[in-house]
Amino acid sequence: MNLMTNILINVIIAFFIGSLLFGLQRKIMARIQGRPGPPIIQHILHTFKFFIKESAFPYTAAMPFYIAITAMLSMIWVAAVIVGPVTGGSLLLIFGIYAVHKIVEHNAGSSSGSPYGKLSCVRAVYSAAAEIPLFAVLVIIYFKTGTMNITGLINYQTVHGPLLYAIPLAALMFFVLIMSKAPYSPFAITKGKDIVSGYETEHFGLLRGYLMMSESIAWYMLLWVFLTVFLGPISIPVYLIGMIVMSSIIAFINATTPLLNPNHSIMMQVTFAFIGIVGSFALLMI
Amino acid sequence: MDKLKTTSWILLIASFASIVYAIIFNPVSWIVYAISLVSIPLFILSLGLVTMAKGSKDEEEEKRREPFIGY
Amino acid sequence: MDITILGSQIIGIIPLGDIVFYFTQFNLFMFATALAFTAIVAISKTETQVEAEFGKLGDRAVTVAKKEFKIRRFLAIICGLATAGAMITGDLFDFTLFVCLTGIVNIGIVGAVRQVDVLDAAYQYGLIAMMASLPLFGGAALILAATGTLSLLEINSLTYTTPMMILGSILLFLGVAGETGVAPFFATKAEMFRTPGSPFLLIIHLSSLLILVRLIEILLMINKPF
Repeated sequence: MNLMTNILINVIIAFFIGSLLFGLQRKIMARIQGRPGPPIIQHILHTFKFFIKESAFPYTAAMPFYIAITAMLSMIWVAAVIVGPVTGGSLLLIFGIYAVHKIVEHNAGSSSGSPYGKLSCVRAVYSAAAEIPLFAVLVIIYFKTGTMNITGLINYQTVHGPLLYAIPLAALMFFVLIMSKAPYSPFAITKGKDIVSGYETEHFGLLRGYLMMSESIAWYMLLWVFLTVFLGPISIPVYLIGMIVMSSIIAFINATTPLLNPNHSIMMQVTFAFIGIVGSFALLMI
Repeated sequence: MDKLKTTSWILLIASFASIVYAIIFNPVSWIVYAISLVSIPLFILSLGLVTMAKGSKDEEEEKRREPFIGY
Repeated sequence: MDITILGSQIIGIIPLGDIVFYFTQFNLFMFATALAFTAIVAISKTETQVEAEFGKLGDRAVTVAKKEFKIRRFLAIICGLATAGAMITGDLFDFTLFVCLTGIVNIGIVGAVRQVDVLDAAYQYGLIAMMASLPLFGGAALILAATGTLSLLEINSLTYTTPMMILGSILLFLGVAGETGVAPFFATKAEMFRTPGSPFLLIIHLSSLLILVRLIEILLMINKPF
């Protein structure tokens, strides 16, 4: 297939599946909490609804930074799609993209001048401590397999079996990392409802729709990376089932746990990181 | 037509043209990567800026008269 | 060019005397991201923060004064360029110099703000950054002593890891963590981020995270898997 067509199709698939998974997650959360909940396509409908709404840009915003930051979020996740499903490139790059996502969260918040955005920005800086499990995951995967290439990792797993069984604690850390990006999750301190919508508060209308599109792609990509890195060569139906299962598990956790306060959220993640790092190295040494 | 509208039309056409160019002429892979990284986000953003709803003139007046109520 | 770094093929190198820049898919992306953000920062205005006044119903707008804006923008651009350099350099000592430069300009970016709390935070960050430069350069020196080279491409082709190289990597990590103010040292940074001037704060955060991800690449190149 033509490379550009391939990229476009993958981006569109990522957007639709990511949005549907977000919708599913809300549905499951609602059922657990005894509500009927919105239809599964609600997240897509919301995205499009916001996208065509009349928008204004705040008087106080830092232009054109305020708009460019949303384009940046979209750009990095398009890059993730290229690195992941299209070319099977460097895993390190995916984690670089994850780091830039943090920066976007931080600066989307502060670029508007709103106090809610500012609080979210400060929380994003705090949650940079949650980067420790990220690097630990990378280090452990590399020490186990000797490669940082996604294609290389798939090949390794065809020979040696899924990494999920070999380095379960790294998988756990990665799972916590994915969970911190889910809406309503106990670790989603940058989007907590106590600060309205966190860094997205002042990005309304069109820009909110745009951010939501990128977030759907991000969600799809995070699950894709998890399934590829820890389960290895799997077929498309297994990918779909895996994504649905993971979204459901995360929905269950989100529905039953409150949002942690920033300090607790960070300490929880650091604790997971500590257990994961020490345990994984112990497992590698044996 | 205001500045934002003009810019977004130009960006929309440019990004759409570059994507179509990459699909039809199939250039070297790194050019395709560069085009997709820059053009896909810009295309979506400018499409949104072009298609977003506009308030009518008298509504605009009303909005301006609304006092700033702070955050 | 048939060199692979951590499983990905090198796209190209730029030899500048004994300093060699090299590109893999990863380095190229990080380099481009750093430059793109620097460009956005260079053309952006700053935001106005609206704060509620205590005891009254009024709002107070906090802005960045023009003089302050100019010097902070200049420092932010330098910081962005240094970060971009750190992303592609193939020389360990060069990397530490770039990291050190970002540390210095980061202090400058917040040091230009005329708010007592922020200056306090900047002062503490400055202390940590200064102290961290010892393990930073010390780590690089230990790795040079253990391997006989500072070139990352050379280190990448080695097949062994000696305990001295591991010690050097740990010192390097400590140095970079202090210099960029991450993980254990981030407490001072959160305070600095409350001021207006979002584009300049972006570059502080960007430099620290990108450099950390790049450091992981370097550490994985130095320490071979078991």
